[in-house]
Amino acid sequence: MRTLSALVILLGALPALAADTLVFGAAISITGKTAKEGEYTRDGYQFAIDRINQMGGIRVGGKTYQVALKYYDDETKPERTAQLFEKLINEDKVNLLLGPYGSSPTGTAAPIAERYRIPMVEANGAAESIFSKGYKYSFMIISPARMYLRGIIDAVRAIDPSAKTVAVLGENESFSKEVAVGAAEYARGKGMNVVYDELYPTNAQDVSALLTAIKGKRPDLILGSGHLQDSLLTVKQSRDLGVSPKAMGFSVGPSTPEFRANLGKSADYIFGGTQWTEALEYEGDDPWKTPKAFSEAFRATHPNYDTTPYQVAESAAAVIAYQRAIEKAGSIEPTKVRDALAAVDMMTYFGRIKFDARGVNVYKPMAVEQYQPDGKKYTVWPREVAEKPPVYPMPPWDKR
Amino acid sequence: MSGAEVGQIAMNALLLSGVLAVVALGFALVWGITNIVNLAHGAFIVIGAYVTFGLHDFWSMDPFLSIPISMAALFALGFLIQRALINQIIRAPLLATFLLTFGLESLIVNLLRFFFRADTRSVMTAYSGAALALGPVRVPYIRLGALGVSILLVLLLAAFLTRSRLGRAIRATGMDVDAARLTGVKVATVYAITFGIGAALAGAAGSLLSMIVPFDPNLGGGYTERAFIICVLGGLGNVVNVLAGAAAYSVVEVVVGSRLPAFSQAITFGMLVLLLAVRPQGIAGKAFS
Repeated sequence: MRTLSALVILLGALPALAADTLVFGAAISITGKTAKEGEYTRDGYQFAIDRINQMGGIRVGGKTYQVALKYYDDETKPERTAQLFEKLINEDKVNLLLGPYGSSPTGTAAPIAERYRIPMVEANGAAESIFSKGYKYSFMIISPARMYLRGIIDAVRAIDPSAKTVAVLGENESFSKEVAVGAAEYARGKGMNVVYDELYPTNAQDVSALLTAIKGKRPDLILGSGHLQDSLLTVKQSRDLGVSPKAMGFSVGPSTPEFRANLGKSADYIFGGTQWTEALEYEGDDPWKTPKAFSEAFRATHPNYDTTPYQVAESAAAVIAYQRAIEKAGSIEPTKVRDALAAVDMMTYFGRIKFDARGVNVYKPMAVEQYQPDGKKYTVWPREVAEKPPVYPMPPWDKR
Repeated sequence: MSGAEVGQIAMNALLLSGVLAVVALGFALVWGITNIVNLAHGAFIVIGAYVTFGLHDFWSMDPFLSIPISMAALFALGFLIQRALINQIIRAPLLATFLLTFGLESLIVNLLRFFFRADTRSVMTAYSGAALALGPVRVPYIRLGALGVSILLVLLLAAFLTRSRLGRAIRATGMDVDAARLTGVKVATVYAITFGIGAALAGAAGSLLSMIVPFDPNLGGGYTERAFIICVLGGLGNVVNVLAGAAAYSVVEVVVGSRLPAFSQAITFGMLVLLLAVRPQGIAGKAFS
């Protein structure tokens, strides 16, 4: 009897729920190689969704929608990501799509969004190659790969215009390669001389060969684009080999807590590009307004996080972009939301959100963090929103 | 290319070959004597790295002092694994040994990931990053120490195999199992000890690598691959062959890496394919003698 009445209640509730709930679908890596980052992504999406519901939901014309997230684990397998996006669209009938974690899965999800004409705002795939195929339904909320190291070049040049030479070493993999190519191009455009520019194989256990060649060129600035282990290896082996440029910076690595845990004092003076930090002084038009408020609100509801990873912030920003676009469109019709997304231009706690013709947010700068000798990490760039000025030059290894 | 650069490249190759010799020796020994291509060799290396990391992290033990502990632990583990698992398939076709050791590798790596998480670790000591300067060429103390340990282990293994009764029994078993059995060698025990020694050498390699490279539970796979290439290049014949293979591999990796880093793996593997086409038996013979 109780089961029956529960069923009746459920049946009664279901159509109402379906009618007034807007569902975002995503496949995210909850297990596999990028399990941790996938968790950040999911928590970021869910955090923004909870916040919107708490504020009453999304207003569309005269109606208010509650928002929900429907996600599956893609096990960090790009081919699985594509299957799951099809399932979300065909079986779960989700209204709109949020991106997976990582460039490769995002690359397999984008054509699915395109085929079904349902927009996908993605927050965790920075490879621009995904956006060179003329897709109309995919949007990248983050700064693209080629911009990752720009902030570091700008910061160094602002303090020391005489810094003329730069060496770039990158992992031979699509995202890191775009980062390296973008950095070298940007440096050349700034009148710098790129004295070394090479890629090393994925999973390299040794970059001493590259560093030995770089040492002979005596560059002012060394930039590395790879993943955490590559950055750690490059710093360690630079110290081993006495390679002492005036500044050293990486696309990925310094923003993770493991960077200092692994390097200790060797982490000092190292620059890292990052999509976002909670120390940035942005003033936004969104539920949280500032990075600090976003971060505090997130940690208040997620006590298991010591800091707020940028993946959480960028993933939440994707939901915020949707909120704005849906309200502007006055409809949850996918094609109308798509057009409204293409026209979004707003300032948020995450930085500016605006997409170029390809759907890439080239309007938000990359921030730069630096480990300083007092043992802490500071946001040092862009200057107008930074916490502290950068410390430069980095003292030679043997004079520390 | 400047003289300083050439000198540094030569030094890098020498230092790398020392570590790779230890990485490959245990693999070669097991392959040569028991005819098992141990795909879990890299996983044993990772365990060694975590032993050193753990002892350094919790008891601040100097990483070099932890090498014997790492070797003893891995010897015991290797011995038991051979007795309990590998021995079941010692006469089975090659594919079965691949499947079993590959499965073992996955199991160990996933267990490590469960207990230590996928976080990247490094062993940092007071002397990390310090280096001896030979003119413009820098010799990091840790890598110099690693080379010293490698040389010591190579000499000890060579002496053990040629001078001791057990070592000779191991070699005899590798040459002809049936003849060895007829002369009273307990083949099952010899196999388990051999596997244990192979694992112990992997443990030593892991301890050394933990000081040199940042690592996580996935460290090992690349080293199983390198060990395989070195064995094919040098042949399984004896300790000297493995050293030659390690040296040849290191020179190629370092020299190609300094000029065409993006192609270093392609060229190394290309060389392997070429060698196999010209001399399918490797540079030297097959049996470990």
